[in-house]
Amino acid sequence: MNVTITRVLPFLLIVLGIYLWIGYSITELTGGERKTSAAVDVSPEGGEAIYWGRGRCFTCHSVGGQGSAVRGPNHGQFGEKFPLPMGARAVERAKERSEKEGTEFTAVDYMVESLASPGAYVVNGYKNEMAVVYAPPISLSLKEIKAVVAYLMSLGGELDMAAIDTAPSEQTQAFYSKIAAAAEAGGGDPSAGAIVYEDNCSECHMLSEEGGEVGPVLDGISAKGLKFIAEAILQPAKSLTKGFETYIAINKDGRQTIGLKTRDEGGEIDITKATGDVVTLAKGDIKEIKMDDTKSVMPDDLSEAMTVKDYQDILSFLMLQKPKAAE
Amino acid sequence: MAEKLWNGIFGSGLAGARFGKLGITALLVLGLTVAATPAFALEENVYRQFMGIDSRRLVWFLAQMHLFFGAFVLGVPLFAVIIEVVGNSNKDPKFDNLAYEFTSLLSVAYATTAALGGLLAFALFTLYPTFMGYMAGIFKDVMFLYALLFFGETFALYMYYYGWHWLKGGGLFSKPAQLVFKGLSLIIAACGLAFIMGFIGPDMRVDTRWFMFLLYILPLAVGFWIIRDRKTTHIFIGILLNIFGTAIMQLANSWAGFMMSPTGVDGDGAFVGTVWNAFENILATPIAIHRMLGNLAFGGLVAGAYAAVKFIGAKTAEDKAHYDWMGYISNFVAIAALIPLPFAGYYLGREVYSTSAVMGNNMMGGDFSWTFIIQAMLVGSLFVISNYYLWSGMTRIPGAERYYKFIKYILFALIVSFAIWLTPHNLPLTSLEVGQMAGSQYHPVLKFLGLMPAKNAVVNLIILATFFSFLLYRRGNMLDAVSIRDQGKGAKIAIIVIGGAAIALVAQYAVTMLGMDPAELDLPADRAEYIRMIGYLLVFECAAGVVAIILALMDKGKIGQVIYLAVTAFNVTIFLGVWGFVVMEKASPVLRNVAVAQFMQLISCLILVSVIDAFLFKRAKSLGELKWGKMTVRSQYALLLLTFVITMNMGLMGFIRSGLRGDWHIFGVMRDTSEWAYTPSNFVMTQQVGGAVLLFMIGCAFMFWLGGIASKKSED
Repeated sequence: MNVTITRVLPFLLIVLGIYLWIGYSITELTGGERKTSAAVDVSPEGGEAIYWGRGRCFTCHSVGGQGSAVRGPNHGQFGEKFPLPMGARAVERAKERSEKEGTEFTAVDYMVESLASPGAYVVNGYKNEMAVVYAPPISLSLKEIKAVVAYLMSLGGELDMAAIDTAPSEQTQAFYSKIAAAAEAGGGDPSAGAIVYEDNCSECHMLSEEGGEVGPVLDGISAKGLKFIAEAILQPAKSLTKGFETYIAINKDGRQTIGLKTRDEGGEIDITKATGDVVTLAKGDIKEIKMDDTKSVMPDDLSEAMTVKDYQDILSFLMLQKPKAAE
Repeated sequence: MAEKLWNGIFGSGLAGARFGKLGITALLVLGLTVAATPAFALEENVYRQFMGIDSRRLVWFLAQMHLFFGAFVLGVPLFAVIIEVVGNSNKDPKFDNLAYEFTSLLSVAYATTAALGGLLAFALFTLYPTFMGYMAGIFKDVMFLYALLFFGETFALYMYYYGWHWLKGGGLFSKPAQLVFKGLSLIIAACGLAFIMGFIGPDMRVDTRWFMFLLYILPLAVGFWIIRDRKTTHIFIGILLNIFGTAIMQLANSWAGFMMSPTGVDGDGAFVGTVWNAFENILATPIAIHRMLGNLAFGGLVAGAYAAVKFIGAKTAEDKAHYDWMGYISNFVAIAALIPLPFAGYYLGREVYSTSAVMGNNMMGGDFSWTFIIQAMLVGSLFVISNYYLWSGMTRIPGAERYYKFIKYILFALIVSFAIWLTPHNLPLTSLEVGQMAGSQYHPVLKFLGLMPAKNAVVNLIILATFFSFLLYRRGNMLDAVSIRDQGKGAKIAIIVIGGAAIALVAQYAVTMLGMDPAELDLPADRAEYIRMIGYLLVFECAAGVVAIILALMDKGKIGQVIYLAVTAFNVTIFLGVWGFVVMEKASPVLRNVAVAQFMQLISCLILVSVIDAFLFKRAKSLGELKWGKMTVRSQYALLLLTFVITMNMGLMGFIRSGLRGDWHIFGVMRDTSEWAYTPSNFVMTQQVGGAVLLFMIGCAFMFWLGGIASKKSED
C-alpha cells in the first residue's frame, strides 16, 4: 500500500499542478485578480473598484486591453472601432444625442443616461441588453453609479465632479430621481415591473385608463407610500380601499356569493367576483348579506406566485405611478 | 499496531457508528439551538473570523470537503444495492462480495462526513450569525427533519453493513408474511399513483413530484414487493438507506436552492410564505437531480480509484483479477451516470436562466464563462479517459482485436468534439478582430464552434461515441449474433415493449413539437415552421426506430442497430447542430426545444440499441473467457485520473453554482456586506478546489487503509 501511495501521490500532484496552471493562465488572460470595495467615494478610484468589482461592468465591457469581455462596447481606446477612450467618446456621443433629441446633452448627461436608461441610445451594432444596474442583483446605489460615471469620464475625458455629484444638470437630476425612486422600492427594475403588472394585476386594476374595474384604479398610487403598496400586494385584506370591501351574500338555499358589491338598486344587487364575473341577485332570495373586512377579493397568495425579483420590480413600477399634479 | 491505533481512536466494534452518531448528535444539538432563534429580518449583517482566517474561504473549504465525502456516502450505496440485486438474481456470490466490499468503504466515510458536517455547521453559525439566523428562522422545521433523517440513515447504513452476513441464507418467509409485504407494496404504489397524478400532496412543481415519486415512493413499493426471504430483506434495507440519503440531500439542497431563488419573502426580507414554499423553491429540484447523478458518477469513480490503487499494489494474480473487475464495474456505473449528466446540467442551467437572466448571463457569458471552459476541458477529459479505459480493457478480451480498427475513428470523433466543446466564442481579441466583429459579441471564425448549438451537437456525439466503444467492448469475445427468432416470445416481447417505450419517448415530444403554438415561446405565428421541423425530424427518428425493431425481429438486428445509430447520429449531431444555428438566428427560444429533442433521441437510441444488443448476443458463442487482471498499469492510472478529474470538476461546479449569486447571501434578499463580497478569480478557485481535492484524496487513502485493516481483521 505504501509503495502504491508513493506512486499515486506524485501523479495526483502533477494533475493538480496542471489544474492550478490553467486557473492561473485564465485569470491572467481575463484581467487578473479582482476585489471589491465595501464603501466607495464618488471618485474615479471608487468607480474603478465598482467597475471591476461588484458593479460587474467587466462582465460585458473591457477597457482597452484590460479584460476580455466583448458583449458591450469597449470603454478604452481599442482598434478602429473605438478610437477614443470613453471619457472623450462621451463628448462625441453627447453631441450626436443632442442633435437627435433636440435637447442639450453634456458628456455627463449622456453617461448618466446610458446607466439610468441603457436602451435610450444604444451604440450602433450592439444589442439593447444591458442589465439595469440599480436593480437586483447588481443594485448599485446612486453614489456608486456616480462613482462609475466619474471613472468612465476619467478615461481620456474632462472630469467635472460638480456636474456628476454636487451640481448636476436638470437632465442628469431627472435620471438620478428615477434611480432614487427605484432604489426606494427595494431596487426593483420598473421596466420589468411593468411586465409583471401586465401579467398579474391589469386584469382587475385600471392604470392610465387601461385594465379591469374589479380593483381600485392605480393612477397616482405612489402617493400612498411604499408600505401601503407592499402591504396591499402581500396582505390585501389589511389595507382595503374604501368602496372595495368584500361582501358575502348567502341565498336562502345556502349558496354563497363572494365579491364586491358593485350595484344596489331596486330589488337587486350585483356582486362582482374575483374572476370579474358579475352575479345579479334578487334581494328577496338573499337570506343574509354582510361585509367581511377580513377578506379581500384580491388573491392573497401573490407572494407565492411571484419571485422576490418580480415583487421588487412591481413595487418600483408602482412607485413611479405619481399623482397627475406631481408629474 | 494499526489495530491498536484503530481501537485507540474509535474504540472497537461499532466504533464507526458511535463516531457517526456523535456527529449527528452535534448536528441535532445545533439544530435545536438555532431553531429557537427567530427569523431575522434584514438586520445589519454580522461577520466574524476565526484566528484571522478569511471566513469565506474557510466555509468554502469545509463545505467542499463535506460535499466530497457526502457525495461518496450517497453515491456508493446506490450502486452497492444495484450490484447486490444483480448478484441475488444471478445467484453469483462474486457480485455480492463486491457490493459488500463497496459498502465496507462507507462506514469510515460516513463518520467523516458527519464530523465535517458538524464542523461546517459550527463554522457557518459562528462566522455568519445573521445569515444563518435568518436561514434557521425560515428552515427550522426542515432542519429538524434533516437531523432526524440522519438517524434513519445511520441505522439503515449500519444494519445494511453489519447485517450483511446475518441476513443471508435461510428459507422463504411464510406465505402470509409475504402477502403482507406485497399488500403494503400495493398500498404504497397506489398512493404513489395518486401522488403523481396530483390527488395527494401539496402543490408542487412537476419535476419535484416526479423526483419524489421515482426516488422515494417507487423504490419503497418495489422494496416491499421483493421481500420474500432474509436476503431480499437486506436489499430492502439497502433501498431504505438510499431513500434516507436522497431525502437528506434534497433537504440540504433546498437551502442552497433558496439562496439562489428565494420564494415567500417580501421586499424587506421578512418571510411571508410557508415552509413548503421555501423548501420547494425554483432551483431546489433541478439542483437535486443534477447532484443525484453527479453523486452516482462520483461514488463510482472513487470506488474505481480504490480498485485501481489495490490493483497497482496487488501481489497475486487473483487480487489483480478481482480489483480489475471491481474497477471495471465502478467505471461502468460511473459512465452510466455520466451520460445523462450533461442534460441534467442543461436543465439546471435553463432553470437558472428562467430564475434570473442576470444570473444566467453571469453563468454563461459573465464571471463564469471561462470557468465553463475549464469545466468543458474536465468533462471532455472524463469521456475521453473513460473511452481509453474501455479500449485498454479490450486487451483482456479474446477476440476483441477484431474491433481495434474502429478505435481510431472513435478517437478522431472524440478529439474533434472535445475541441469544439471547449472553444470559447469570444477568445481574447486583437483590435483588428474587434473591428471585424463590428459590435457582435462573437468571434468572426470561432463563433460557429463556440455557440450552444455546436456544443450541444458535439456533446451528443461524444456520448454516442462512448456508447459505441461500450458496444464494441461488450461484444469483444462473442463470435457472432444469435437468432432472436429462436429465443422465443419473451425476447420478442421484451424488444417490442422496451423498444416501443423508447420510441414513445421520442413520439410524445414529436406530438408536442407538431402542436406547439409559437405564442407559448413568445414568438409570432410565422415562426411555427422552426418548431414543426423538429417535430418532423422526430417522426423520422420514430420511423427509423420501428424499422430497427422489425429488422431485429427478422434476425437482422445488426442492420437495425446500424440504421438507428446512424439516423440518431445524423439527427442529433448534423441536422439539429445546423438547425440550432438557424433557430438561434430566427427563433432563439426554440433552441431549448432543439436540446430536448436531441436528448430524447439520444436516450431512445441508447435504450433501443442496448435492448437489441442484449438479445443479439445472448448466449452467443464465446471466443474465450475474459482475462481479468491482464490490464496495463497505465489503464489503472487512467481510472485514477478519472477520479481526480471528476473531483476537481465537482469543486468547480460548486464554485459556479454558489458564485452565481454574486455578492448576495440570498439572491436579491440578503446582501453580502462582508469584505469578501466579490467573485474570486479562477486561479483562487483552482487553489481552493485543488487543496480540497488533495486533502480529500489523502482522506480517501486513509479510509481505504483503515478499510483494509478492518477486512484483514475479519478474515483473521
